[in-house]
Amino acid sequence: MSSTLLTTSVSRLILAPTMLTAVAFVVKGYASAGDGFSAGVVAGTAVVVQFMAVGPRELANRFPLLRYAPWLTFGGLLLGLLTAFVPVALGDPVLTHYPRPEEHVPHLGLLAMHTAILFDIAVFLIVFGFIVSLLGLIGGIGVEGETQ
Amino acid sequence: MPEPLQVLLPLLVSVAGTGLVAGAGALRPQLAAPIAVGTATLAFITTLLSETTSAVTYNWAPTWGLQLSLATDGLARLYMLLASGIGLLVLAYSSGYLPLHLQHTGSGPERGPRFFALILLFMTAMMGLVMSQDIILLILFWDLTAITSYFLIGYDHQRRDSRRAALTALLITVASAVFLIAAGAMVMHQLGTASIPEILEFAEPGTTTTVIGVMIAIAALAKSAQAPLHFWLPRAMAAPTPVSAYLHSAAMVAAGVFLLARVYPLLELGTGLMDGLLVIGFLSMAVGGVMALAQHELKRILAYSTIGQYGYVVVLLGLGNVAAAEVYVLIHALIKSALFLTAGSVTEATGETRLERLGGLWNRMPWIAAGSGLAAAGLAALPLTGGFFKDEVFFAGAAERGGVIPLLAVAGAALTFAYSWRFWGGIFVGRVVTEPRRIPLVMIAPIVFLGALVLFLGIFPGVAAEIAEEAGSASVRAPLVMHLAYHFNLEAPNVMAMATWAAGLLLVATSSRWAFIPRRIARASRHVGPDRFGAWVIGALNGLSRRLHAYEVQTLQQRVGTIFVAAAILVGVTILFAPPWPSYRVGRFPVDEWPLALFLALAALAGMVATFTSGRLSLVLALSAVGYSISAVFVFIGAPDVALVAVLIETMMTLLLLGVISLLPRDVDQSQLTESIQQRRRGRVIGVLAAGFAFAIAWGVLSRPAPDPTMSRQLITLAPSAHASDIVTAILADFRGLDTMGEITVIAIALLGTLTLFAARRRV
Repeated sequence: MSSTLLTTSVSRLILAPTMLTAVAFVVKGYASAGDGFSAGVVAGTAVVVQFMAVGPRELANRFPLLRYAPWLTFGGLLLGLLTAFVPVALGDPVLTHYPRPEEHVPHLGLLAMHTAILFDIAVFLIVFGFIVSLLGLIGGIGVEGETQ
Repeated sequence: MPEPLQVLLPLLVSVAGTGLVAGAGALRPQLAAPIAVGTATLAFITTLLSETTSAVTYNWAPTWGLQLSLATDGLARLYMLLASGIGLLVLAYSSGYLPLHLQHTGSGPERGPRFFALILLFMTAMMGLVMSQDIILLILFWDLTAITSYFLIGYDHQRRDSRRAALTALLITVASAVFLIAAGAMVMHQLGTASIPEILEFAEPGTTTTVIGVMIAIAALAKSAQAPLHFWLPRAMAAPTPVSAYLHSAAMVAAGVFLLARVYPLLELGTGLMDGLLVIGFLSMAVGGVMALAQHELKRILAYSTIGQYGYVVVLLGLGNVAAAEVYVLIHALIKSALFLTAGSVTEATGETRLERLGGLWNRMPWIAAGSGLAAAGLAALPLTGGFFKDEVFFAGAAERGGVIPLLAVAGAALTFAYSWRFWGGIFVGRVVTEPRRIPLVMIAPIVFLGALVLFLGIFPGVAAEIAEEAGSASVRAPLVMHLAYHFNLEAPNVMAMATWAAGLLLVATSSRWAFIPRRIARASRHVGPDRFGAWVIGALNGLSRRLHAYEVQTLQQRVGTIFVAAAILVGVTILFAPPWPSYRVGRFPVDEWPLALFLALAALAGMVATFTSGRLSLVLALSAVGYSISAVFVFIGAPDVALVAVLIETMMTLLLLGVISLLPRDVDQSQLTESIQQRRRGRVIGVLAAGFAFAIAWGVLSRPAPDPTMSRQLITLAPSAHASDIVTAILADFRGLDTMGEITVIAIALLGTLTLFAARRRV
C-alpha cells in the first residue's frame, strides 16, 4: 500500500480527536445519543484509518500494544459478566444496576457513577477489541493468541 | 436426616461421584474404577434407605410454572434400585473387563476414566428421570440418558460400526423424544401445569388426551426398542459389553416402559391406546423371539431377546396389569444383565463372539456356567427361579383377557424357551471348539451373584412382589396387591406354563428341522425391514444436504444466490400461510416530509448505480452512498442513536472495502470475470425473486397499524428512574440488558472462533 506524506500526517493528526470522541460517547452515553457500541466502532475506525494510511508493519511499530487486542475483548466480556452476575450474589436479579432507582447518583462532571456505565464500557472493550483483533488477523499484524 | 436430603441423597451421591471419577481419573486413571464402584454402592444403599414418598420441590422458572420436583415413590424406587444395583455390579465387572478391552482395541489406560464417568452420568440421568415429578424435568433427563448412551455405545470411537450404531441409537431415541416434548407442550397448554401428579389428576378423556398419550407412547416404545423402531438395539451391540449389560437390560430400555407406567392413568383415558400397546407388545415379542433364533452372535441374540421381553412388559401394561409389568421389569433386568455379562466373559476368555465357534465350556468355566444357567433358566421361566413368576404373572394377565391372547402368550414364551436354550446350550454344552483363557474374578462373581439372586427370588418371591406392588400402586395412584407364590393346581397360569415348556422342549428337540425358517425371515427382513427404511431416509437427507452444499460452495455467486433463494422461500412460505394481503394498503405521501423522500430517492439511485457499474471503486462508493442515505433517513424519522450507529458502520465498511480493493491485483484476467449467459439469467431471476419478497415483506410490515405506543411510553417514563436521560442507552444497558449481554457474548465467541481458525491455518 502506498502512503503519502499527506495521508500519514493526517492519520496521525486525527487519531487523538477520534479517540476523544470515543471516550465522550461512553461518558455521556447515558445522557445523550451514543453508547459503548458506537464508541467501540469509532475507536476501531481510528485504528483502521491508521492501518490504511501506514500499512501493517508501521502500525505494529507505532502501537506495539495492539497485539494484545483479543485480551480487551475477553476482558470486556468478563467485566460484562461481572456487572450482570455480581448482583445475583448480592441477592438481586441478574443485571441489577446500582445505585437503584430513587437513590442518588453521584456525578463526576457529566459522568454518572452508575454501574450501567461499567456495562457500557464492557460493550466498548468488546467491540473495539474485536475490530482491532480482526484487523490484526486479516491485515497481518501479529496478534497474541494467533501464534504457536 | 432432613427429608429433602433423604429424597435427594441418591441423586446427589451419583452427581458427586460422576465429578469425582472424572476429576480423579484425569490425574490417576486407576482410581476411576474403585471410586465409581464406591459411588454406585452408596447410591444403592441410600436408595434402599429412602422410605419417603413426599416430593421435594424447588422453584425453577416460576413464571413458566416450572419446578424442580423430585420424589422417591414406589415406581421411582424400583428403577433406582435397578439403576444403582445393576450399575454397581456392572461397574465392578468393568474394573476387570475394561483394561482387557482397552488392550484389545489398542487404546491406552487413560481412556478408562471416561468410561466410568459416563456410566455414572448415565446412572445419574436415569435416577433423575425416574424421580422427576415435572414433565419438563423428565424430558431433560430423558434426553440426557439418550446423549450419554450415545457416548457409551460409541465408546470405541475408532471403529466405524460403533460410531454408526451410536448415531442410529441417538437418532431413533432423540427423534422420538421430540414426540415427548410435543406431548409435554400440549399437556402444559391444555392443563396449565407441568407437574406430573396434577396432570394425571386433571386429565380428562378426549381427543387431545388420546393424541398426547399416543405421542408419549411413541417416545417410550422407541426407547424400549419396540417394533417397528427396534432396530437401533441390535446395532447398539457394538458397544462394550458392560454398556449393553447396563443400558440394554436394566436402564436405557427400561426407561421406556418406566415412562409408560409413570403416565399410566393418562394412557388409560385415551381411546384405543391400550389395545395399541397390546399390538405393539405382541409384535415385538414375535420379532424378538424369531430373530433371536436366527442370530449367531451372542450379544445380538440377547438384543433381540430384550426386544421380545420388553414386548411382554408392554403387553402387560396394555392388559392393565401394572404391578405384574413391574415384576417382569425387575426380574428380567437381573436375568438379562447376567446373560450380557456372560457373553462378555465368554468372549474375553475365548476371543469368539459367534455361537458356532463356541461350545462345551461348562467344565472350563463352571461358575459362569452355573450363574448364567440360573439366569437362562429364569428367562425360560423354569420353576425355582424368579423367572417362573415373571411368566406366571404374564400368563395370569393373558388368561384373564381370554380370546386369542393366551395362545399368543404361550407361543411367545415358547420362542423364549427355545432361544434361552440356544444361547446357554450353545456356549456351555457340546464339544469344545475354542479353549478359554483365564479371566479375572471380578468378571465371574457378578454373574454368579445375579444368578443366585434369580434363584433367591424363585424361592422367596415375596421380595419382588413387595417392590413391584409399591411400584404399581405409585403408577396407577391407587393401592394394588401383588402376591407371588407357587400354586399346585391346574389353573390357567400353570397350564399355560406347562404348555410353554412342552412347546419349548419340542422346539429345542426339533431345532434342526426348522432352523432355516427364522434365518430366512432374518434374511428377508434385511431387504424390507424398518431399519432399511430408516437408513434410506437418513441417506436421502444426507445426499440432499451434500448436493446443496457442493452447489453452494462452487462460486461466490452461487453462495450468495443460495442464501437469497433460501430466504425467499422462507419469506414466501410465511406469506403463503399467513397472507397479509387484505392489510396491504397504499399510504398517503406526507408532503411536508420531502427531505425524507429525497434521501430515499438518493438511496435508490445509488442502488441503481451499484447494480450497473463495472468499476470496483465506483461500486464501493455507490454502496456506501446507499448506506449513508439510509442513515440520513434515520435522522429524519427521529432516531439519532440508530443514525449514529448506521453512519459508523457504513464508514467502517467503506474503509474495509477500500482496503481490500487496494490489496487486489490491479489487472485481473478479464476472461475469469465474464459470466455465461445462463449464469447471468439465473442471477437476475434470483435477484428479482429476493427483491420481490423483501419488498412484499417490507410493504406488509409498513401497512400494519402503528404499534401500540404504551410500551415505548412506559420505557420513556421509566428511563429517568434508571438514572438515564438517553432512552436507547437505558434500554440497551438496563431494561434489555440481558439481550445485550447475549450479543456481546456472541461477538466474543466469534473472535475466539476466528483466532482458532487462524491458529489452525498457521499450524498446517
